[in-house]
Amino acid sequence: MPGNESLIGTPRAARTLAHRILLVYNALVVFLLAGFMSVTQQKIIASMNARAFLEDLPAMPLSPELGLALSLCALFVLWAAGHLYRRDTLPRAMHWTCLVIEIVACLACMRSLNLAYDGVVLLVVADLMHRYEGRNQGADYSLAAFAVHAVPFDAYTAYYVEPVRAVLSALRGGLVSLNLVLFIGYLVVILKGSHAEKQRIAMLNDQLADANLRLRAYAIEAERTAETRERNRLAREIHDTLGHALTGIAAGLDACIVMVDTAPDFTKQQLVKIRETALRGIKDVRRSVKKLRPDDLEQMPLRDALVHMTQEFCASTGMDVRLNILKMPAHLREDEEEVVYRVVQEGITNANRHGHAQHQTVTITVEQGRIYLLLYDDGEGAPVDADGRVEEGFGLKHMKERVGLLHGTVRYESGQAFGGHGFSLEVVIPERKAALSEGAEPDTKNLQQTEGNDVR
Amino acid sequence: MSGRWRIVLTPLVILFCAACLCYALRPTPHVLRVGIFVGSPWGVPGGDIYGMLDESIAAFEEAHPGVQVTYVSGISRDDYSEWLAERFLAGDEPDVFLLLPEDFELYAAQGALLPLAPLEKDDAAFDASAFYPAAFAYGQYDGESMALPLACMTRLMFVNKTLLAREGIAMPEGRWTFDDFYRIAAAVTRDTDGDGTLDQFGVYDYDWQLAATATGAQLFRDDGRASYFAAPEVEQAVRFCMKLSALTRGHQVTPRDFDLGRVAFRPFSFAEYRTYKPYPWRIKKYMNFEWDCIPLPEQPGGTPHAPLGVLLAGISARTHEKALAWAFLRDITTSDEVQKSVLAHTQGLPAKRGILETAAPADVFGEGVTASLTPALLGETLDHAVTAPKFKRYEGAMLLSDTEIAKLVHGTVSFDNALNRLQKEVNAYLQR
Repeated sequence: MPGNESLIGTPRAARTLAHRILLVYNALVVFLLAGFMSVTQQKIIASMNARAFLEDLPAMPLSPELGLALSLCALFVLWAAGHLYRRDTLPRAMHWTCLVIEIVACLACMRSLNLAYDGVVLLVVADLMHRYEGRNQGADYSLAAFAVHAVPFDAYTAYYVEPVRAVLSALRGGLVSLNLVLFIGYLVVILKGSHAEKQRIAMLNDQLADANLRLRAYAIEAERTAETRERNRLAREIHDTLGHALTGIAAGLDACIVMVDTAPDFTKQQLVKIRETALRGIKDVRRSVKKLRPDDLEQMPLRDALVHMTQEFCASTGMDVRLNILKMPAHLREDEEEVVYRVVQEGITNANRHGHAQHQTVTITVEQGRIYLLLYDDGEGAPVDADGRVEEGFGLKHMKERVGLLHGTVRYESGQAFGGHGFSLEVVIPERKAALSEGAEPDTKNLQQTEGNDVR
Repeated sequence: MSGRWRIVLTPLVILFCAACLCYALRPTPHVLRVGIFVGSPWGVPGGDIYGMLDESIAAFEEAHPGVQVTYVSGISRDDYSEWLAERFLAGDEPDVFLLLPEDFELYAAQGALLPLAPLEKDDAAFDASAFYPAAFAYGQYDGESMALPLACMTRLMFVNKTLLAREGIAMPEGRWTFDDFYRIAAAVTRDTDGDGTLDQFGVYDYDWQLAATATGAQLFRDDGRASYFAAPEVEQAVRFCMKLSALTRGHQVTPRDFDLGRVAFRPFSFAEYRTYKPYPWRIKKYMNFEWDCIPLPEQPGGTPHAPLGVLLAGISARTHEKALAWAFLRDITTSDEVQKSVLAHTQGLPAKRGILETAAPADVFGEGVTASLTPALLGETLDHAVTAPKFKRYEGAMLLSDTEIAKLVHGTVSFDNALNRLQKEVNAYLQR
């Protein structure tokens, strides 16, 4: 809420104002006391009482002008160092330097005032509090050791007659007390400010959580939209290509049915045209499907694509995947290639994501007209229920669907079912020629087996 | 700050800094301010500290070209203490200044005096053993050297030669003892005109403190927080004074008795001796009898302890000319010329050893004075002299003990364990 801070009445503005009042008040008191001492000293010299005055002093006071100048200079340095210290843009080392300068200036100021006024300490404390709210709030306020070498304030007032002396002492006490009151006021402002700051942060936190929630909803929405858009695109694609061709073919065939008896030659010519339309349609469908295929498969043969994919995965995740191709299936259709590719991809992704495996072996081979894909890893394995069955996720379900389309089977076992670890996956896909020659019977059997194993 | 302002301001700032630098580095004459007073530090007429220092100032300025040594003239001995305090309070005190005994403790305690020990250590030309030990020790505060002795003062015994000759008593020669003193005092104390009252006396103004100094009594602990009045030396001194006092049979000897030549002995400071013995002051006082001075009587078999007064000089802790101030202070306290001029211009004695021994008697005692005292004997006296303590409550404690002991001496109070009681009383006062 950057707009709020510029307004008068915000915690920061109130704090700055309170600090300024404290500073100006202290400057005033320092000036008053230093001036008083300076004038008194000059009066003592003028009235020839210097020896008697010095008699009771534990230390030699500064000369009148020097005392006044030094205390004001020290106060100015104190203010300047404090100002720098309170700025948040300085490097850390500079902050410490400023603090040290501030403390030294504070001591110098008090020393030049003969310790008659120690309120300037509160200025340093105020600065400390400004930066370390709630933490380093302690300050050593006892200066007894320092006081041994200072001229007591009473020595100055002793020069004056009794009524004046009483007034002076009372005045000084009043000044000190008022400074304390101002300092406490400053503390109150700081505490209030820090409370308001906390409330503001809490409010911002709530807003952030709210925004997060909305963002998540939006992400789901966006996903759905993308899905719908993709579905529409597919529908359009199918409508434009397959629909177009099929419509043409149907219309042409209708004409053929009418013409086949009366003009067989023309019908033949027409059928040739229909065949061309069908071929063109197939071409269009292929083109559409191609757009959905993975890039690697588009650009290189399956074997190279698999090697490339596993290598990339190893490099990016650090998992060790050993790709073992005993025999590469020949003459695979694009959709078959894609299924093999996707199964391997999903298998190693799962091993890494869910099993946190370090090593995985992927074996591909062809035996008796069947393509075998075997994946073993040494990960944690999938969680199992009371019967030792693996809880099936979206990935496995999807994999089964894909493999099922090619009349293949999927089997898997989690090491956790036997109290161990690791996960094994076995996918068997019949080769196209074999599938064609053996007919539909084994496929049904396979499907049943799949269902019997996994979908219950 | 925008670029244009920077272009304008940068040369100005550089110029300002350069001007400041030039001002700071400008050749300035070194001025060394000296604080001295007019007249004698020992409370006698005459005496000329200016005369003593003027020669050394001229020599110092010659040896240090570009240095100017100044002093404010016309401040009397009585005003000097206040003047110095005012200068300190105003922050324009002199760099090097004389210190009266009553001021030394005050300034040393306030840290207004520059500690001299480091300077003394670094200065190969300085030798602390060149001073009379008690005089050098007098400039120490808390065991640290704060000021150096410029001149000394001791007390002697005034002898009425005419009276002794009339009584057929030989003048004591060289060192003499309490026994001699008592014998002569007893012999001369009598009623000369036969009117039944004593009119000739042994001694005037010889007090228990002088006797205690002679017996070597240490009255106070160094830190001034305890007294040793119950010590045997003090008892010895007080008993001797009681004996002397008993001779007068209660008659109070007055200054008039002394001035009329009816008293044989009287303690006398060297300054008084040096003032009243030579011309012109000799014709003003004690015209009607012959007199001379001898050392104070000693305790039999003891060391000759005489009281010692010291005129100190110190350096301000706030001086800007530390090296020069030290060089000047060292010059005036240790140079043979200045120490000789102490004899010539003031009625004091040099603080440096060896000056008296090599000086002619006329330089020490004044022109035309035939003294029974020799410079060597005077030097020996100074070697063993002791100074009074300087702590703050010394005066008060002495006042208290003086009153009590005076009662003892005059026999108004019985001796018994009076000194023990006094010690307790004084200790209570000191520790208050």
